[in-house]
Amino acid sequence: MYQYNEVDQKLVDDRVAQFRDQTRRFLAGELPDEEFLPLRLMNGLYIQRQAPMLRVAIPYGLLSSAQMRKLAHIARTYDKGYGHFTTRTNIQFNWPKLEEVPDILAELAQVQMHAIQTSGNCIRNTTTDHFAGINANEIEDPRPYCELIRQWSTFHPEFAYLPRKFKMAVTGGPEDRAASQVHDIGLHLVKNDAGEIGFEVLVGGGLGRTPMIGKTIREFLPKEDLLSYLEAILRVYNLKGRRDNKYKARIKILVQALGAEEFARQVEAEWEQIKAEQPELKLTAEEIARVQGFFKPFDYDSAAAADTSLADKLASDTDFRVWYEKNTVEHKVDGYRGVVVSLKPMLAPAGDATDQQMDVVADLADSYSWGDIRVTHTQNLVLADVRNADLYAVWQVLAEHNMARPNINMLSDMIVCPGGDFCALANAKTLGIADQINQKFDDLDFQYDLGEIRLNMSGCINACGHHHVGHIGILGVDKNGEDWYQITLGGSDKEDASLGKVLGKSVGADEVADTLEKILLTYVESRVENESFIETVRRIGVAPFKEKVYAAAH
Amino acid sequence: MPLLINRQVVSQDNWQFVDAEASLEQLPKDGDIVVPLALWLENRDALAAHNGALGVQFNGDDDIEPLLADLDKLALVAVEFPVFRDGRGFSQARLVRRAGFKGQLRAVGDVTRDRFEYLHRCGFDALQVPEDRFTPETLNAFGEIGAYYQGALDDPRPIYRQGR
Repeated sequence: MYQYNEVDQKLVDDRVAQFRDQTRRFLAGELPDEEFLPLRLMNGLYIQRQAPMLRVAIPYGLLSSAQMRKLAHIARTYDKGYGHFTTRTNIQFNWPKLEEVPDILAELAQVQMHAIQTSGNCIRNTTTDHFAGINANEIEDPRPYCELIRQWSTFHPEFAYLPRKFKMAVTGGPEDRAASQVHDIGLHLVKNDAGEIGFEVLVGGGLGRTPMIGKTIREFLPKEDLLSYLEAILRVYNLKGRRDNKYKARIKILVQALGAEEFARQVEAEWEQIKAEQPELKLTAEEIARVQGFFKPFDYDSAAAADTSLADKLASDTDFRVWYEKNTVEHKVDGYRGVVVSLKPMLAPAGDATDQQMDVVADLADSYSWGDIRVTHTQNLVLADVRNADLYAVWQVLAEHNMARPNINMLSDMIVCPGGDFCALANAKTLGIADQINQKFDDLDFQYDLGEIRLNMSGCINACGHHHVGHIGILGVDKNGEDWYQITLGGSDKEDASLGKVLGKSVGADEVADTLEKILLTYVESRVENESFIETVRRIGVAPFKEKVYAAAH
Repeated sequence: MPLLINRQVVSQDNWQFVDAEASLEQLPKDGDIVVPLALWLENRDALAAHNGALGVQFNGDDDIEPLLADLDKLALVAVEFPVFRDGRGFSQARLVRRAGFKGQLRAVGDVTRDRFEYLHRCGFDALQVPEDRFTPETLNAFGEIGAYYQGALDDPRPIYRQGR
């Protein structure tokens, strides 16, 4: 993974000192609240229901074991012993003290981490495919480009006070595990007819109040021009994006208002001028190669494929076999697998990890996976490079620490935002509903029979839980002080991205799991052979589900 | 109001900012004046005959495209930041400099220390700071972050061309 040089380290160290001074001036009354607000947000610090919340950046979801141990240490020392991994592949601490935040940032800086631009109306953490570098179908590893974007966007002097937040995702090939089509900018590595590698550029995707799928504004962008093109998009947005209404301030609204074609025309015109004025912005082949050098394939064991112990264990241990089938994925190198560490146990908030669990994962990474850990946007972790012969040992340790529930991509692998228990923006609670669903569908064999289902839940319209793009989406709404839940069907955040359609009127807090059961049974009755849930929904539409759910209610 | 030019406090400011509602007839007859963009665009020729240097002020709501061809007639361009969170002026400054403007580019309005560095990097050489938001300590804002990844107006080289 990328290693800081002196400049990278200096920027982060200087930022710690700067934020320490900003906090001091705020506490001394020298910095008004309305000015400290955007400054602290740009450093990931929210004021929430219970306490401040600190969001720490995990650039493109990649962590070293040392970084994970530091997160464990922070959870233990400054928080209540856990952290929450988010759909932006960052981590949130829910209980830090404002006065201690500069100390936490100083600790993070020791391991090349920070909270820079994890909130606020600026360019946020760029996310990518959690199987980058190990999946056989990718054109190129997207992470070097994420790192180049990270550097370009960090403390960009022109784009720190945008109309609204700005999120980018990069994919390395035709498969999309980064929800790139619902980002402000989605970048897809593609190959053109001449065999050159570049980017397809999508703009204007997003969730929240006005969910939209991104639109392609350029089929092929040479990779050397990546940063100049991004600069052009951001400049057009910074100048023209709406600032009169925060709910209409995202770039998607601008793209919709102008039309994708006109928006693209303005970007291209600006880009031509930028290229002429700032030829320096063109990436050099040396710089791309330098950054790629940090993401080289590991020195894989050529004997790994000869292992026979895995086959023996799979034959003799059913629990292990089930876990292997559900929670590990193919690796482009024979003899290796990618392991998904499930942060979706039976009854605990999705994406939460205790300090001890973080330490355990760090140790496993050191012993079996080159010391690297990835965070997925579905709120799990990944050990990407485990030898077949080591899988059994990894499984045993994960199982011992409640991180081996074999449910990846199943119904209980839910994306769930923290909801009304923690978040000041939330309209409704989510954690209790997730528990209710877990209890209702505690039979994993039933989940396996249902097959792949993405269930996403948000506690409010801001959609941190990506409910619009869940095969099943659940949105918490407030009705006269009571929590109600609106259900959508048919969303997807993959390469076939689509937005879910509302099933009907919302259901009460105690009816969510029962309603889901009716939906799932409708699927089971309606599916044709080997048809997945989303395929059935797309074939038959929402109506049959609606009929079943609401007919039964009367 | 404290005025910083090239990161230093200056005591003298010869520029008079005329009222946003002022008509052509109400303008001072002599001296260096800064007029609102709309007044300039409507009275270019009359203003060109003014006895003194000329400046134009605008903010993020204004379309500055028509002004970019007139910059050689101006000695000062003032960009107003109505509120702290409004970042349009950063991009407008880049456009003004790109059009070849070599005169004073002044940030006015909500111009406070935590944005000094970014303003400077985007091409502002003059920062007009509200009286109540200025102390000598404010100048420490410059250089708080001692390196940068992006090329900008002060140094066009991104990190990969800085020869580090």
